[in-house]
Amino acid sequence: MRASQKLKFLQLERLGYRPFAFYSGVVLRQVLNDGHIRFLIIANVLILLVAALLSRGAFLDPYNFQSMATQLPEIGLLAIAIMLTMVSGNGGIDLSVISSANLSVIVAALACKALFAGADSSAGLGWSFSVLFVLIALTVGTLCGLLNGLLISRARYAPILATLGTQLLFLGVATVLTGGPAVILGDVAPLSQIGNGDLLGVPIPFVLFLLVSIGVSLLLSRTRFGFRLYLMGSNAKAAHFAGIQTATVTLVTYTLAGSLAALSGIISSTRSASAKADFGVSYLLIAILIAVMGGVNPSGGYGKILGLALAGVALQMLSSTLSFIGANDFLKDFMWGLLLLLSIGLAGSSLFKVKPKPVPS
Amino acid sequence: MNKKALLIGAGIIAVAAIGAVTYSSAQKKKWTINTVVKITGIAWFNRMEQGVKEYAKSSGNNATQTGPSQADAAQQIRVIEDLIAKKPDALAVVPMDPATLEAVFAKAAARGIKIITHEADSQKNTLYDIEAFDNVAFGANLNKRLEKCMGGAGKWTVFVGSLGSKTHNQWADGGIASAAKNSKMQLVDSKQETADDADKAYEKAKEIIAKYPDIKGFQGSASTDVAGIGRAVEEAGLNDKVCVFGTSLPSIAGKYLKTGAVDGIGFWDPKDAGIVMNKVAQMVLEGKKITNGMNLGIKGYEKVSVTKGAGKGMIIRGAAFVDVDKMNMKSYPF
Repeated sequence: MRASQKLKFLQLERLGYRPFAFYSGVVLRQVLNDGHIRFLIIANVLILLVAALLSRGAFLDPYNFQSMATQLPEIGLLAIAIMLTMVSGNGGIDLSVISSANLSVIVAALACKALFAGADSSAGLGWSFSVLFVLIALTVGTLCGLLNGLLISRARYAPILATLGTQLLFLGVATVLTGGPAVILGDVAPLSQIGNGDLLGVPIPFVLFLLVSIGVSLLLSRTRFGFRLYLMGSNAKAAHFAGIQTATVTLVTYTLAGSLAALSGIISSTRSASAKADFGVSYLLIAILIAVMGGVNPSGGYGKILGLALAGVALQMLSSTLSFIGANDFLKDFMWGLLLLLSIGLAGSSLFKVKPKPVPS
Repeated sequence: MNKKALLIGAGIIAVAAIGAVTYSSAQKKKWTINTVVKITGIAWFNRMEQGVKEYAKSSGNNATQTGPSQADAAQQIRVIEDLIAKKPDALAVVPMDPATLEAVFAKAAARGIKIITHEADSQKNTLYDIEAFDNVAFGANLNKRLEKCMGGAGKWTVFVGSLGSKTHNQWADGGIASAAKNSKMQLVDSKQETADDADKAYEKAKEIIAKYPDIKGFQGSASTDVAGIGRAVEEAGLNDKVCVFGTSLPSIAGKYLKTGAVDGIGFWDPKDAGIVMNKVAQMVLEGKKITNGMNLGIKGYEKVSVTKGAGKGMIIRGAAFVDVDKMNMKSYPF
């Protein structure tokens, strides 16, 4: 390590950068002392209790949990993508996540169908179809994210404008490619497992969501990239003068968001066995809602995966509960809104803050 | 902290209890049949809900209707997923896009839930798909009326709710094919999407009027299309110059039918479709078969045609279409 590099590292450490700290009791307590996390844990427990009561226990059927665990990941991954862009600051947001997700799987589906047209679905082909599908989708999604990143970091577009533009652009391209109706993916053996299979009873989409959550959480808390991202989000100027290549960090963030969107698209398209240009357009606000309710600061610099995951679970349980008791779907929108307002209003209040322990004299 | 937390908990429980009342009042019935529509809160599906309620009352079965609050295939899948977990005896679904529902229907069938669909003759994983009439013939019929109103010549266009909606496309194609026989009928900017939203249809119609000042005719597909088009035509003062026909209901288009901004509508009664879906579901649950020429006991479905569907299921077609204009709209108060 060169001397200058070492100095920078030391400075970073002074700022709280601890790449090798493991979750110890101290860290756990820090997590639980977070007002937002406390609010979300309590909200989750309450929703689960109310749901169990209202459905007379039927809600606790394992099948229902599997069903919810299949529904959450596609929105959860979009929320993580949006969270990353929000944390990056500078009014960061990615409005194009859903269009990117749909465009990725539409291109992958059309390409794979064209390549494998006429081939009968013997076992070997199923695998190459599936691997190719996933690779193409991830590549297209990453390129979509890269385009956003370039527009924002190099061409200096405001994120909300750049991604609004690309949202419409990707949607337009996807609509032209398909002509509107869904591209039927069909039941290709290993591929459909991504959306419909399970691992020891846990749906594969949820396993993927967990893996990505852990991965991103580690990326944010244990790597230099994560530290730079938070620093840039809270004060871009200071980050710049501290020698952080803010343009590069921004570029990587939006590109990553594109890849995550593609993964979400892979899950939803294999789950519905189809790819459609306007599939899940109503997910955008829900994904933003999950991120914000999870405690992500829309003006940058703060956001934890744990909060986001808890918010996602809360919204999913609330929505399934209302479907379960046969309530009007508009009540779901209302309850989600209510929960968001409660989370903003209460998480910061003294209610969920730990009073400092009196110092023993 | 505890007191306040309890208070908040009590608040949440109270709000959730609103739902509990409706839930507990509908227990201990013979069959549970859930009707899932494309979107809740629009007149078309409100009328269908009347049919579902009427069926529930007369049959004694626990039949209810639900659906997403936004017109998005993804949201409809979520609603159906939640219902599958709840395990009703049958699901009667009006799909946003049949292709997107195949996997979730397969899942439902594996859990022993019977699937009945409406407006989805390409659906594979359904037992019976119910069509009020032959869609191409219906679209052609609408266009013939439009052509007559236009005096057999001029520029016209057609709107669809979404390019993914099978029936909307069949009506539009039926209309296009019918107009193609007359070389004086000139189709412009075919199949504009309106997202089943009257405001979108209004915007699109305004654009079309600006682009083609000599436009003579509009054919709508979503029930909200003619309402939006009618508003645009009225604002442009073209009530007498432009002909507007489309699928809609008197409650949606009535205002414009009266002023002449909309010249005629065609529809089938979603209430009857709701009853028929539930009746068919009940027959399936009782192990009965629906055969060609059968009388389902609802007007327009007295002698249904039953043909093979896209998958293992069958398509049931009635002859339930209604032509409505200014003169006879009073007989259809919905």
